[in-house]
Parts: sequence; structure tokens; C-alpha cells
Amino acid sequence: MIVAIVFVALSFIGLALILYLAKGFHATGGSLNQLASQLQPVDLNAFRNLIDKGEELYLREHLDPADFRSIQRERKLAAIEYIRCAASNAAILIRLAEVAQQSPDPAISSAAEKLLENAFRLRLYCFRVVPRLYVSVLVPSAGLVPARLADSYDTITRQVVMLGLQYPTQGMASAL
Amino acid sequence: MIFFQYYLWVAPHALLPVLLTIIWRRGWHKRLPFFFCFAGFQLLQFLTLFALSRFVTLSSISLYHWVLTIGLGISALLELGAVFELAEALLLNRVSLSNSLRLLMKWSLAALLLISAAASASFAAIGFHGAARIFSVLDFCASVVEAGLLVTLFLFSGALRISWRSWPTGVALGFGISACINLAASALRAQFGSSAVLAVDITQMAAFHVAVVTWLVYLLVPERSAIFPTQVFGVSEIALWDRELHRMANQ
Repeated sequence: MIVAIVFVALSFIGLALILYLAKGFHATGGSLNQLASQLQPVDLNAFRNLIDKGEELYLREHLDPADFRSIQRERKLAAIEYIRCAASNAAILIRLAEVAQQSPDPAISSAAEKLLENAFRLRLYCFRVVPRLYVSVLVPSAGLVPARLADSYDTITRQVVMLGLQYPTQGMASAL
Repeated sequence: MIFFQYYLWVAPHALLPVLLTIIWRRGWHKRLPFFFCFAGFQLLQFLTLFALSRFVTLSSISLYHWVLTIGLGISALLELGAVFELAEALLLNRVSLSNSLRLLMKWSLAALLLISAAASASFAAIGFHGAARIFSVLDFCASVVEAGLLVTLFLFSGALRISWRSWPTGVALGFGISACINLAASALRAQFGSSAVLAVDITQMAAFHVAVVTWLVYLLVPERSAIFPTQVFGVSEIALWDRELHRMANQ
């Protein structure tokens, strides 16, 4: 009986999800200015600082373990926020590229197609990194953040910077 | 009540020839061949079962059940093919997503098959024997797999903020609504057996009706597209964004 109830509940959750997401697929996203206004500014230097190994080492040496763990947790959570911003900005790029793709000019649609591909890749990448960061939030001193992940942080940093650098043409320089 | 039951049984199947004709005339059967076959098979199965129901007696009811069960098996396979076809049409044609989504769909399919097999073993299915019992299990397993794959597809697209504005969206939505309602109904039938048959049948027929209407609406209503009317995109601007993203994604 419990199994049947579980599946009935799951089916309703699934139905609600499908209807909600299908509604979202129809969102036109508004004008380019509206999309640009949804961009979230990213303080790149602060983000670099958060993922810097040297900084982490310095804090580990100069703080007592309890304080270090607490501060590391805060730093990782802040890094996650920056990555969320990058993912959100990539979603805006996807919308932009999807519209540009419909252009009758083959050069523009081809450029938009490439942009779309890379924006998808960036967003997928963000999804892969965030869960790993949450693990490192839970265990800040367990060495669960490998060196490779630090490189990944750096890549994301550059991604965020470059995403931001492209928007001055839309009058977004002041926001970034 | 009898009229209502007949309406739900006949009406969606009466709409199917309209749907198939429009798809054929537009040449869209080449875009989603599995879906086209699925719709055609549904119509064929309905005609067969309707004709059988005129002549069937209590002693030959098992023939009706076997036709229904075999038809369900074929429908489930065609629907599964249509779901993968939708994934291809909506997502897999984007190079960067194809590997991730293919992997996700394969693992989801494997996990859903395991879950459905384990869950169906725990159901009582009171009063079902022979073909009716096989039908009950098959219906439940197919519903779990279809609903699970469609939810996965929608979640993946939603997470990546991919816009769906084309006819395949309507097909996916119709399948999604129908699969989720079928899942609830088939779980109840598998648990309560023959005592729940009438309520479950009505629910499943209503779900299929909604699906057919959704497919037709998406087929007939012109596609909306997101346009920035005052904005002109420059090649150099888009190329610059792409170049930088490409450089970063490859690192």
C-alpha cells in the first residue's frame, strides 16, 4: 500500500514539475535590455581570493582550527554564490544566443550557434562544480577539495570575468 | 456514466486521424517517426479493441485481454522510442549536450527499470490472473519508465534554461501529462486489482484525451518565438562572446 501511495505522490510531483518547466520554456525572456538587467555583477578579485590556495594556507597557519573551519565554510559558501552568478549569466547568454540564432544573416546565426554551445558547456560545468563545493563546505579541513578543483575555480573565475567583460556594450559596465 | 466512458474511449481516438493527417501533410512524420507510428498504432489498436468489444463474451474475454496486453507492450516500446526521439530533437542535436544527456538518459532508463521491477513485485494485484495480471505489471513498469524519462528530460532542459517553442515541445508535454497520470493510475490498479479497474480506466482514458488535445493544439497554434524587435546583433559582438567562452570551456 505504501509503495502505491509513494508512486501516486511521485506522479503528482512529476506532473507539477513538467507543467511548471513547460511554462518556463515558453518564456520569451523580454527585451535584450531586460535580459541584461538580470545579469548579476561579480567581484572577480574577491572570488579569486576565495579560491586562492595560498590564502587558505595562510588562514590555516594563523587561525586556530575552529576559527579556520568556520571561515573556510563561509568562504566556500561565498564561492558557490559566485558560481551561481556565472551559471545565471550563462543562462542569459543562452537566451540571447537562441534569439540571435534566428537571424537571417548566416554569419550571425553561425556565431550565435557557437555561443550557444559554449554557454551550455559553461552551465553544465557550473552544475558539476557546485555539489563538490558543498561537500567541501561540510568537511572544510578534510582535504576534499583537490588541486584540480582549484584550477576549476580559476577557470570559472575567468568565465565570470569574460562574461562580465562582454556586457559593457549593453551599458552594463557600471553594474559589473 | 456509460456515455462518459465511451466518450473518453472514442473521442481521443477520433482525433487521432486528424492529427495523423496534419502531420503527414506537413511532412513532419519524418521529424518524429516513432511518434507518428505510436499515434498510428494507437488508432489501429483502438479499432481492433472496439471491434472485439462488440463480439466478446465472458468466455472469450481473455482474447480481449491478450490483445490489450500485446498492444500495450508495442505501445510502450513505440512511446519509449518517441521519448528518445524527442530528446534527440530537442537536446541531443546540440553537440555539447549530447554526451551528458545520452549518459543521463541511459542511466535513468536503467534505474527506472530496476525501480519499476522492484516496485511491481510488491503489488498485490488482487483479482488479476493471466493476461490481466501481465497487463497490470507491464502498464505500471511502462508508466514508471516513461514518466521518469520525461521528467528527466524536462529537468535537464529546465536546468540549462533551454527554450522549447516547437511542435516537439507539445508532443513531450502531452506524453509527460499522460505518463504521470498513468503512473498514478497504474500504481493504484496494481495495488487494488480488479476493484479499481473502472476508476483507473477512466483516469487513463482522460489522460490520453488531454495528451491528444495537447498534441493537436501545438500542431495547430503557430509557434511563438522570442524576438528582440529593436535589437540588432552584430557578428563581431557575438563572435567575441563565443571566442572567450570557447577558450574558457576548453581549459
